[in-house]
Amino acid sequence: MKKTLLAFAAALLASTASYAQDPGVTDTEIKIGDVNIMTGPASFIGKAVSVGSKIAAAEINEAGGVNGRKITVVTEDDGYIPARSFQALTKLIEVDGIFALNGTSGTANVLAMMPLIEEHNLPTVVTTAPNELVYNPVRPSVFTIGASYADAFYGQLKYIHEKMGVKDPVYGVIRQDDDFGLAIENGYDRAVKEFGAKDGLRLRFKKGTANYAAEMAQMKQAGVNVLANGGIIAGAANILGEARKLGMDLQVAGVWSEDMPPSVNLTAPAGYDYLVADYVALDGPAIDAFMEKAKKYASPEEVGAINRYTYITYAGLHALAEAMKGCGKELSRACTVEQLKKLKDFDTQGVTAPISFDNEKQLSGTALKIYQLDSKTKTFKTLQDFTQY
Amino acid sequence: MRTGNFKETAGQLVALSDSKVVWGWAAALLVLMVAAPFLIGNYQVTLMVSAMIAVIGAVGLNMLTGTTGLISLGQAGFLAVGAYTNAILMMDYGWPFWLSMPAGGVAAAIISIFVGVPSLRLKGLYLAITTLAFSFIINHIILYAEGLTHGPNGIFVSNAKLFGIDFQRGKALYYLTLGIVVITVFAALNIQRTRIGRAWMAIRDHDIAARVMGIDLVRYKLLAFVVSSFIVGIAGALISLQIRFVNIDVFALILSIEALAIIILGGLGSIAGAILGAIFLSFLPEAIRLFFGLFADPNSSFYTTYVYEIRGIAYGVVIVAILRLKPEGLIGLWRDIRKYWSNWPLAY
Repeated sequence: MKKTLLAFAAALLASTASYAQDPGVTDTEIKIGDVNIMTGPASFIGKAVSVGSKIAAAEINEAGGVNGRKITVVTEDDGYIPARSFQALTKLIEVDGIFALNGTSGTANVLAMMPLIEEHNLPTVVTTAPNELVYNPVRPSVFTIGASYADAFYGQLKYIHEKMGVKDPVYGVIRQDDDFGLAIENGYDRAVKEFGAKDGLRLRFKKGTANYAAEMAQMKQAGVNVLANGGIIAGAANILGEARKLGMDLQVAGVWSEDMPPSVNLTAPAGYDYLVADYVALDGPAIDAFMEKAKKYASPEEVGAINRYTYITYAGLHALAEAMKGCGKELSRACTVEQLKKLKDFDTQGVTAPISFDNEKQLSGTALKIYQLDSKTKTFKTLQDFTQY
Repeated sequence: MRTGNFKETAGQLVALSDSKVVWGWAAALLVLMVAAPFLIGNYQVTLMVSAMIAVIGAVGLNMLTGTTGLISLGQAGFLAVGAYTNAILMMDYGWPFWLSMPAGGVAAAIISIFVGVPSLRLKGLYLAITTLAFSFIINHIILYAEGLTHGPNGIFVSNAKLFGIDFQRGKALYYLTLGIVVITVFAALNIQRTRIGRAWMAIRDHDIAARVMGIDLVRYKLLAFVVSSFIVGIAGALISLQIRFVNIDVFALILSIEALAIIILGGLGSIAGAILGAIFLSFLPEAIRLFFGLFADPNSSFYTTYVYEIRGIAYGVVIVAILRLKPEGLIGLWRDIRKYWSNWPLAY
């Protein structure tokens, strides 16, 4: 009788342990969430992110999954609106029962999701918004891939200062009047102070501004010949278009979004061979190998949507899978977070610098490559390999 | 069967409804709403909270645009004022949320006076553009007054507790929002029956004629702005409690357009229409998502490349179809259904 009771108690304990398992994990499947910009003008980012997750999941699953469990990615659209990001993550947690999150939309969007992420101790890899606001203060379950916008601009301006020999340099910055723009100005500020350079003009504009004629006329008036261009996509193109109309001779540092083909098509006609600093590889054997994989696992439409955000999300899901593997069969969110904290020099097959989250900020991929556009051929050449700033 | 609507006393004339059936249905709806969090999942509760916040905002805007005829595109600005006031007072000054929330409404109401003044000389599209400009000004103030608003960084909103209950999540937030919806709707229904409400309607129908009849346009137009903005400010404060984060991107201009779409789709000037419009537009994306979920595999390339755009188009098509087929909005559709069943089986 005693033995039966003990066996019953042991069985009960075992079943309790299995019930205590975190959501999103079964014996055969792990659900990973992705909240992204699938509609609207910035949907090319969300679509690229989604394809990156899909390729990584297919590759991991084909190799046997995570300790025998297949990865399923569930994507929700937020249209780049923070209130919808909150709602989308609520749906992923409450309805789909995701285990972890890889893909977190823009900065304000991930911040709107942060209380939910913290509340559920959701292992989260931030792949598209490496803003300081995301990792400062550090949230225990949040891991960020990417350099800061501030470092990206500082790195480019440092390269221009040291290697490009601009005569009588006068620096200027034009940036959005939001958190993203502020980060750019911080990098600019660090550069001009450190170099003792002439700080010609600092201008802010509202997101969505289309006409920069007045701003660029002021830049010309101030004699600016080194420009930190904080515009993105059409904004960056319009800024350079105005500069060209005014006949300005400029060395230009740009946002990393300007290395994507849609941006290049818009900005190249202005004829400025601008710089970008990016924490992903834009060309080389690693990218060639990735594209081969993409053709295997994704449809032609999806392959057409690939850009830099695809590589980061691909690397992010592989990093997450590596951490989950480290937990063995007893997979839990707490264990995954602990494993992510230990992740060091994880090889992303060359699409980004190796990933290490074993630092105070839980931030990786901060090294930046500096590229320069050839506006005639619309291609980039590497000026400087991955460097920490 | 009722053959007419005869009133014998002034009390009957101003009563919200003389029909016990209507009161019965209203009570049943309230009971259902109270029981709902125990019958549905957490995500559905979150959706209902969002829908109820939209109802509060729509009822507020309806007072200004539907009842008084003053078109406003400044709702995002008033929502932001309410949300930021609540967030700043709670997080930087340690106010309890039950004080900071009404303060959000008061702040929006005070600021609305400055927007309302131009409305004394402007109407129609001119007023719409003025209120839109107000939204831009609020946007700028929030971004540039970093010492007060934390600028582009935004503010995390937490610790809205009373008697140990956290009013920022789950059932507690649901009941808080439901309570505010009930108070707002009753207040709005009653205001419409007072001298103030009738003065607003007179201004909407013909402001010069209203003035000739002795209605003080300055007073009543400003009052419309103040009352409407107070309610919208409260809705903004609720948004900050629900999302637990405020940032200028949360209050994008599209919110003003959506608010106007809600009251037009619901039926301008009708409180029931504002409620129907808010509920319909809040749940429409979810309904479309469920519809597409029935036919498409979420892992298919169709899903990753096209389905989101198609869902967006479907959202627009449904709105256009409703307004084309029923220009008086959802309230018109509701009236037709009610009339059909009132006369059933002799409906024609």
